[in-house]
Amino acid sequence: MKQPLVSTLFDFIASRIPLHKLDVRHMITEKEVPVHRMSWGYYVGGLALFFFIIQVFTGMMLLFYYEPTVSEAHESVEYITHFVTMGALIRNLHAWSASFMIFCVIAHMLSALAMKAFAKPREITWIAGVLLLLITFGFGFTGYLLPWNQIAVNATKVGLASIDQMGQYLPAALSHLAEDVRVTIQGAPAIGQATLSRFFALHVVILPLMVFGVIGLHVLSVQLHGMSPGIEDKPRRKDKFFPIFILKDFKEWGIAFLVLFILSLCLPFDSLFPYPLLEPYNALGSTPDGIKPEWYFYFVYYPMELLPFWIIIVVMTLATLGLFAAPWIFKGTSHKTMRWIASAIAAYMIIMTLFGENIYHAIKG
Amino acid sequence: MLELFAFVGLPYAAILICIVGTVWRFRNDQYGISSLSSQFLEGRKLLWGSAPWHIGILIIFLGHFVAFLLPGIWQRLMAVPLLLALAEMTGFASTVLCLLGLTVLFYRRLTTARLQKSTNIGDFIVTALLLVQVGLGLMVAGGYRWGASWSTGTLTPYVWSLISFSPDVSVIRDMPIVIQAHVVGAWLILLVLPFTRLIHMVSVPLQYLFRSPQKVVWNNPRRNNQAVAARVTQESRRHFLKAAFGLSAAGLLLSVGVLDKLGRFFQMPGLHHDEEANLLETRLRRLQLTAEEKELELERLRSDHIYVAKLAELNNTVGKYFIDYSMRPGLAFRAEDGWPMLLSAKCTHLGCTVGNQVDASGRILCPCHVSYFDIKTGMPNDGAPAKAPLDRIAWVLRDEQGTEVATESPRGSRTGRLDPAVADGYSLYIVRSLSAEA
Amino acid sequence: MTKTLQLLFTLVIVGNCYAYPEFQKFSQTHSGRPINCAMCHANGDGPEGASRGQIGSLTPDELNKLNAARGAFAPGVPIQSPILNAFGNNIITVIGKTKFLELRAHPEQLAEVYGYQSDLDGDGITDAQEYLEGTHPLNNVHGDPMRLFLHNLKAFRLHVTLIVLATIAGFYGFSHLLHGLSASASTKSSVERYP
Repeated sequence: MKQPLVSTLFDFIASRIPLHKLDVRHMITEKEVPVHRMSWGYYVGGLALFFFIIQVFTGMMLLFYYEPTVSEAHESVEYITHFVTMGALIRNLHAWSASFMIFCVIAHMLSALAMKAFAKPREITWIAGVLLLLITFGFGFTGYLLPWNQIAVNATKVGLASIDQMGQYLPAALSHLAEDVRVTIQGAPAIGQATLSRFFALHVVILPLMVFGVIGLHVLSVQLHGMSPGIEDKPRRKDKFFPIFILKDFKEWGIAFLVLFILSLCLPFDSLFPYPLLEPYNALGSTPDGIKPEWYFYFVYYPMELLPFWIIIVVMTLATLGLFAAPWIFKGTSHKTMRWIASAIAAYMIIMTLFGENIYHAIKG
Repeated sequence: MLELFAFVGLPYAAILICIVGTVWRFRNDQYGISSLSSQFLEGRKLLWGSAPWHIGILIIFLGHFVAFLLPGIWQRLMAVPLLLALAEMTGFASTVLCLLGLTVLFYRRLTTARLQKSTNIGDFIVTALLLVQVGLGLMVAGGYRWGASWSTGTLTPYVWSLISFSPDVSVIRDMPIVIQAHVVGAWLILLVLPFTRLIHMVSVPLQYLFRSPQKVVWNNPRRNNQAVAARVTQESRRHFLKAAFGLSAAGLLLSVGVLDKLGRFFQMPGLHHDEEANLLETRLRRLQLTAEEKELELERLRSDHIYVAKLAELNNTVGKYFIDYSMRPGLAFRAEDGWPMLLSAKCTHLGCTVGNQVDASGRILCPCHVSYFDIKTGMPNDGAPAKAPLDRIAWVLRDEQGTEVATESPRGSRTGRLDPAVADGYSLYIVRSLSAEA
Repeated sequence: MTKTLQLLFTLVIVGNCYAYPEFQKFSQTHSGRPINCAMCHANGDGPEGASRGQIGSLTPDELNKLNAARGAFAPGVPIQSPILNAFGNNIITVIGKTKFLELRAHPEQLAEVYGYQSDLDGDGITDAQEYLEGTHPLNNVHGDPMRLFLHNLKAFRLHVTLIVLATIAGFYGFSHLLHGLSASASTKSSVERYP
């Protein structure tokens, strides 16, 4: 007799979120982690979490001094950098850790893809993870506006203008839809206080609430299921989760912390930009040279500059849907093929991020 | 004379006797080179006396030797107020430990009959010397604070002068009597070292620290289980001890380096009068800029026409910036035929503000992604990233009396006449009723 | 209206222009970094205009200071031109207006002539070096990244050492804490548990 839909659904949830495993024996004492050539991937997610924790703490500290108004935002950031004790360090930690976090999130996604970690019963973990990827990009985009300098506002303008570009493909009756969406996101016809207020709210409250919930689900799910096997063959050995794997994980956190700290202490993030981009935003003046989005958007920004916009829309939509549906699309794919796919995506990301500008200039002249 | 004896003669004699005496003792009384431990006679009080005494004195020794052997580094470290306070606190804490330990040891010796039978005169001399020396040390630390800092400039050169065989008592002869007594006490301890139980300093069994744990295998299962359980407890205890040491070391280092600054992060930065004034001035200026922007917005909401420029001010080589009714930048030019041209200066590619310098081909440049716009038509050049032309902006020309003379709609259709004789006196306005609605 | 009059008045009396784009062009080309007038001037769009730090907005008192600065032909005369920032003022103070005008034909020599002693923002990179590299000489968090990194690494070496030691000690302690907890929870000793 065919099972009723509701009971199939319950079975699905019970196997994907096995709460019966929420005890000390399963979670701690008897848990083991395989050791094989892809097991470096088991640490990348933890690193992303570590950098996120740094972001939360440094972000909270910055909140004590940052003022989200168009007249005070830039000045308050200058105040933090030059006058508050340790302010420059906290600000740099926040800026560098943001980049490290996004890098780790992308690397984590690719390594999970390569290890087929989305396979049954880990589909919910994977979907939560893709949501986290999108939320992380949201954090990056909203946070970038907050210093309210030339690069911040103009790069955001450029990013939001791509929504307008979608309007050219809409039928006549909906021709204003794209612009309306953009103006709604901006809060006003032009980027100004309304935009800053809502981006601040998103960055500091709304996205954090969302991300805490989704991270909670994601990490709980990872711990309940344990680490995925990762490769087809049997691993040569297994580490005990407690204390060996945890200590190896924390060792990576320690190294990551030292690299981040020394970099933040000694290399100000501002020095990576030409100084005209750091001046306060002037709505009535001209735009300085060198405006471009942050590095983690290059993989979509330079193709957008080079190719017709519809190609970008199609590819990005397919890629996002493909990511969400990966557990079902790649159900029958071998681990080896998954490694190839992930490597190809990684190669594209690396080349476009490092050499995107050169490629753009080579083609455009 | 006395000072030469006390600060030159005595040290050299002490060092010599110490070395010679120790060698003699090694050759003639090898088995006597021990601490003469009485642990098996009385163990409980010994723990409470010996452990604090030794821990305290070793820390104090360390502090003294670092100041003597590495004065440069030590001085630089002691220039950090927090580190200096830390050194001072550690010193005081160690002294308390020493005194407590010594007191217990003394009391132990006085009240245990078994011990008194095996106590000799050397023990009393040692105990007395140590008590006095520690007491004097405490008086020096208490009476002449921050010794960790001043000793590198005074006592360290004195000791080094002795070692380099060019004794220099100029520093020490002027020091207070307590400090001089402390120095003399040190030499005396060195002097009696080879003849007393203090010789155990050179025979400390350091290899004991690294000995492998003993493993006993029992045949009897009950005993075996007991042994295994004991091993487990021992092992976990070792781990917890190392954990406590590591974590407290980390905590200490963090408090020295970071925590005080972390506290000050949340306090007002101590700004100089001038700095505070400059900061406030910059803030004020930004507020004024924002206010000016809001005034522009208000003007566009209230007035139905906004003044751009006198027609005479405009030309076709450099555009004049203005703000249109949507708060977007615009550029005003005057063509060769004398008519004004108003273009939106918001690039149709990604919204950057277009430049106002007209090149030889009659085009203005958007610097962000290099699009050239013809100022007559607003069209971008072929192959430019911008695809759409810049919007025209409707305008109205008024003469000196305020009468409307000519106008141009957003689509470019003109009405009115331009009298070249008086055209220079005309004023250019943008009008809300004519401005293109989004 | 008054501002325009003042501007016209100054222009008439003093005559020539106030901006010397040769230096900006050199710095930008030599360093490959985009720069603007704010490297030497009070206003990023240059000295001409009516905004703050530009000629058209000066009060009579500031105009006097400007004229005094424009007359500082010999080196060593401290000036306080309101259209220049501290670096701009220091250039004229150190080399004098005559030499500065001569260097318009050879902007690449400004660094040599100004000298490598002055570091107004204290970031470890001299002003002249920042001019050559297109970074801001009055912003101590702006400079060539590698130079800043090495300078700060040296300046903060105590803190770097402390944090490295603290991390190592902390990890050592935490590692043994977990091992201790693991050991006390088990019934076998380590030799039997991790062969």
